[in-house]
Amino acid sequence: MMDRAERTGFGVAVVGHLVMFGLLSLSFLSPPKPQPKQQPIDVSLVEDVALEAAAPEPAEQPAQSRAPVAGPPEDAPPPAAEAVAQPEPAPQPKPAPPEPRPEPAPQPKPVPQPKAAPAPKPAPKAPPKPPQKTAAKPAEAKTPPRPAAKPAPARNAAPAKPAATAASKPGTAKSTGNNPQAAAKPKPRGSRLGANFLQGLSADPSTSTSQKPMAAKMSASAAASIGSAIKRQVQPCADRQVNPGPGASDIVVTLRLRINRDGSLAGRPTIAGAPRGVTDANERYVDAVNRNAINAFVGCAPLRGLPQELYDVPNGWNDFRMTYKLPG
Amino acid sequence: MTPVLNTDAVSLSPIALFLQADIVVKIVMAGLLLASIWTWAIIIGSWLKFGRIRKSVEKFERDFWKADDIDAFYKVHGESDLPIARVFAAGVTEWRRSTAGGNVDRDGTRERLATAMAAAAAAEVDKLSDKLNVLATVGSVAPFVGLFGTVWGIMRSFTGIAQQQNTSLAVVAPGIAEALFATAIGLFAAIPAVIAYNRLSHSINRIEARLNRFADGFHSTLSRQLELEGRR
Repeated sequence: MMDRAERTGFGVAVVGHLVMFGLLSLSFLSPPKPQPKQQPIDVSLVEDVALEAAAPEPAEQPAQSRAPVAGPPEDAPPPAAEAVAQPEPAPQPKPAPPEPRPEPAPQPKPVPQPKAAPAPKPAPKAPPKPPQKTAAKPAEAKTPPRPAAKPAPARNAAPAKPAATAASKPGTAKSTGNNPQAAAKPKPRGSRLGANFLQGLSADPSTSTSQKPMAAKMSASAAASIGSAIKRQVQPCADRQVNPGPGASDIVVTLRLRINRDGSLAGRPTIAGAPRGVTDANERYVDAVNRNAINAFVGCAPLRGLPQELYDVPNGWNDFRMTYKLPG
Repeated sequence: MTPVLNTDAVSLSPIALFLQADIVVKIVMAGLLLASIWTWAIIIGSWLKFGRIRKSVEKFERDFWKADDIDAFYKVHGESDLPIARVFAAGVTEWRRSTAGGNVDRDGTRERLATAMAAAAAAEVDKLSDKLNVLATVGSVAPFVGLFGTVWGIMRSFTGIAQQQNTSLAVVAPGIAEALFATAIGLFAAIPAVIAYNRLSHSINRIEARLNRFADGFHSTLSRQLELEGRR
């Protein structure tokens, strides 16, 4: 059995172990946590070619498109704008004026005709109806003339009015609709588009004469988005590359990628130029980093989702250069 | 720093490492932890006991050499369970047995006295060093046991790599960390055990030497007494 000293020793040992492991578990003695949890392996792909000047392109305002002006303008716009705008609208105003004129002319004429027409129309309708009723009524034979006379005017008048109004109204509506326009605007000018066509645009006439089509063009932002798209697709393969040794992450390799239109690689990527960041210490890892870089791109080869319209424009992604660097 | 129990993968807290480990590694760790507790129990108990023994032995020797009447001294201290008192009691007992008859064989009595006291001293030393073999065993075996746990855990980690087909360090690191924790516990148990074994062996050697010196001195006293009584 244990004597007093051994019991004491056992108690002290148990308590001491508990205290020590408790402290370790409560992280009083644990090393300070690494601040940001960084990815175990990270690849930085930096595109240094295909970037245009960082300065913003001087924005050329496109010419405002307006519908052709019909008729000679009343209020003279600034001469500069007019001189510019004239060549285009010039041919069109001529065909335009004839159009409005024929319309008012024929339409007023038909209007009187329908007015006259409704009168005769009820007449033919009226005769058949009275005979039907008179045929039924002869059985009574008491008051033949009055019933025959009464329904006739009443029936005649009722159909006649709607017919007349129906016929005359469209006519008058059209004529009144066209005539005031023709009267108020004898010389139509401005566009046939709605008045709100230019809503939101400044009222000031454009000073630009640029007629350049908006073609696809490699801009800095497009290059950046292509670069990040490639980087995102290559990242899983890059994560599989093994860091060959200390200092290797300082080496920056520039790769030249020739890509087919479908995103597959047109041949193995090649190393373009001498790597940067090479020192005596990490010189021997250059080959390994080159291999890593090429393997990373070959492994995730068919690159998808790259914009087709930027494939073969100048600096397009058919021939792309990217820099590759191990994390570190 | 907040005292929060960390059980996430990056934590190095012992409990987290223990809980994440494989069952074999867990058994190894638990065994090593028990060994460590046992080791420290023995270290602290022996340390207390040896210190008390050393002090009481010194006091006993002082009192003994000052005492005039051995029989009176024996009456007081004969029943004590101090190692040196046992040796003293063994000598007195043998003396009384040997000199009980009329005809005393002095040489034989001297020999028997020496043997009896040496045997008593050896028995006391054996009793004291009883637990030291545990320290020796823990000190020599615990690193290997911990290493076994580590090897097992690392094997398991590599199996994990093969299954996930991912060589990223993040896959391997937790397993290796918990595997190495087994070796850490093994060393944690073994290092104090080895140091304490050497230290306590040294203490026991000193106590043994002291017992033997006392036995020799008491033997010479008794031998002288035997000679004096023989001349009468």
